[in-house]
Amino acid sequence: MKTTVPVIAAFLSGFVMLLAFFFNPETSFLGRLEPEVLSWVTIVGGFTLLLGVVSIIRVNYSSVKRKSSGWGYKLATLVSIFAMAIPAIFPVRWSSLFGTGTGSIYDWLFNYIDSPMMSTMFAMLAFYIASAAFRAFRARNAEATLLLITATLVMLWRVPMGEALLQGIHGNLPNLINTYIMNGANMAVQRGIIIGAALGAAAMSLRIMLGIERTYMGK
Amino acid sequence: MTILLVFAYILLILIGAFLLYMAFKTDDRRYIYAAVAFYVIFPVIVTLKLPITTSPEVKQLYDAVEALPDSSTVMLTFDYYPSTLAETEPMSHAALHHLFRKDCKVITMTTIPLGGPSIAERVTRKLAEEYNKVYGIDFVNLGYKANYVAVLKGMGTSIETIYPTDNSGTRLSEIPMMENIENYSDIDFIFVVADNSIVDYWISIVNAQYNNPVGTGVTAVMAPRYFAYISSGQMTGMLGGMKGAAEYETLLNKPAAANMGMTSQSLVHLFIIFSVIAGNIIFLTSKKGRDGKRT
Amino acid sequence: MSLVEYIQIWVIAFVTLSLFSFLYRDNPFYKLSEHIFAGLSAGYYFGLIWHAVILQQMIDPMFDNGKWWLFIPGILGVLMFSRFSRKYSWISRLSLAFVMGNTAGIFLLSELHGKVLPQMQSTMLSLGFENGLGSFLLALIVVVGVISTLTYFYFSKEHKGLLGGVARIGIWFIMISFGAHFGYTVMARISLLIGRVQFLYFDWIGSIINLFS
Repeated sequence: MKTTVPVIAAFLSGFVMLLAFFFNPETSFLGRLEPEVLSWVTIVGGFTLLLGVVSIIRVNYSSVKRKSSGWGYKLATLVSIFAMAIPAIFPVRWSSLFGTGTGSIYDWLFNYIDSPMMSTMFAMLAFYIASAAFRAFRARNAEATLLLITATLVMLWRVPMGEALLQGIHGNLPNLINTYIMNGANMAVQRGIIIGAALGAAAMSLRIMLGIERTYMGK
Repeated sequence: MTILLVFAYILLILIGAFLLYMAFKTDDRRYIYAAVAFYVIFPVIVTLKLPITTSPEVKQLYDAVEALPDSSTVMLTFDYYPSTLAETEPMSHAALHHLFRKDCKVITMTTIPLGGPSIAERVTRKLAEEYNKVYGIDFVNLGYKANYVAVLKGMGTSIETIYPTDNSGTRLSEIPMMENIENYSDIDFIFVVADNSIVDYWISIVNAQYNNPVGTGVTAVMAPRYFAYISSGQMTGMLGGMKGAAEYETLLNKPAAANMGMTSQSLVHLFIIFSVIAGNIIFLTSKKGRDGKRT
Repeated sequence: MSLVEYIQIWVIAFVTLSLFSFLYRDNPFYKLSEHIFAGLSAGYYFGLIWHAVILQQMIDPMFDNGKWWLFIPGILGVLMFSRFSRKYSWISRLSLAFVMGNTAGIFLLSELHGKVLPQMQSTMLSLGFENGLGSFLLALIVVVGVISTLTYFYFSKEHKGLLGGVARIGIWFIMISFGAHFGYTVMARISLLIGRVQFLYFDWIGSIINLFS
């Protein structure tokens, strides 16, 4: 019962989508049912995102309560969550600082603290990739050498100075790289990966709908 | 000026070589960090404009948007996180310049929960002010709804069922621009700016099932993958990374942040190529390299 | 520039430099910034879902448009929180199954119709010389590349003999593609750093110069 009902729900939910694909959305009942079912899915999906928020609050709260190592930072996390969330849920008519619109506390904290932090965290990867390129990128065998040579050509091709250098070697070299490397070998490999992954996804989808795959339900 | 430039470049090469040598000698990766920082900062301060050549994929996208009749309805997506703003925001800016210049009606939306709606609001309003565009008549921000697969599929039948209101809570039925827009069949072009694999679903769900032309701007990490879709005709052009954004800006004759970054990009690329070659020479000439052992 | 604008720029510069300080050494500024970032991101999710889902998709349509049946997905959503209880976590399976089944139904067709068929169709290229040597070469690279890549990722049979040979060719193509990926990835990461440096130089240092000029 605890597993059978969800399996049936998964099948019915997916089967409606499958059937709706073949029916006219404007005239058939199934076609009109489809967007309604999808809007239900988006609502349930929204609550799933809240799961993560509740989880992070629980974990950090228990650390603060136990005063474990670094609890001060965990307290800062909790304060940040509530500083962002609480003004957002108050109605805008009380004050323009509330809600999620332009000029609200929520909007300000995102644009002037959260967003630059996220940008900076990823910007740091530039240093790590340069360090990795010098310390770890080695032509140990023929395949690695081929990878290295291709990477070098592409890195040159993608910047104006490098493109000028390549044109100096041979006028048509940038076009040849675009045609035979990017639109040739690279495109072929990506196509193979897309086809393989899509077949795998379709097979997995069939397994989920038929109830063979149940790992998403947990223990 | 030319002599100064030559001198400057020789100096740059010597500094890079010195920092690499120190990194090798002391095994301290912070010398490499210093070199990268230097090569990024130097061209920002000492600006040098480089000619930007246009790649076929960018030209294809530009031509497709240019060929749209004025006042067409275009959906512009902000499917990117704040972490990739440096690459994707210039693309959104350039796209909006192009669309507003053609008086296209722009519907913006996002499938990214962390920051998508705020970025869409900020970027669109800023450009709209420049072109005197009015919200609700010339552009609309639908905002975010969870579960992107359901959102993309649902809009094929009814946008209003998935988005009962716009981002600020105004009912879609009360927005003049959305009066005659029910689903994808009322949208002439979809311009996806993304930093994740959502592009695959715009192609496989929206383009394949509803036949809307889809053009994309993606981060450089994603770009190699989508050559397959361009080749098959499923994707109408692509902006790949900051270079793609710079090319699009050049075509629009509105050089901005992406164009400015090309010199820094060039220098760091050359430094990384140099460091890879140097690292391999050291490896191959060292005892461990000759023995075929790992360093 | 107004005082508010100065404060905004300096706040951004402070958090940016706090995070960059990690490149030298781990320090309390970095740790604090990291934790604040995690908290603000979680708080952002909460505000977004409250407005975009709970108010705009459920409560307003239920009370303003009479769509009372929207309480059903609301209940399914609330049932998700039973995952936090070891005893009652099985209740969340219904909600999960509803979403997963729905997505599976969409994927089953869209993956085949939208990816496999068009991509296979585009691989069926003419291996003739009617469009010139360049065109033939490109078509050959594409056909051989796709087939050898798919062969390499076929692990149900040991890569020996003909299969092994084709898979070996696949590896060469994959190395070229990964090399291209690496080149593009380097470009991506550098671009992100350029963005931050542009802010620090033009906006932050610009604001300092503006203050004294």
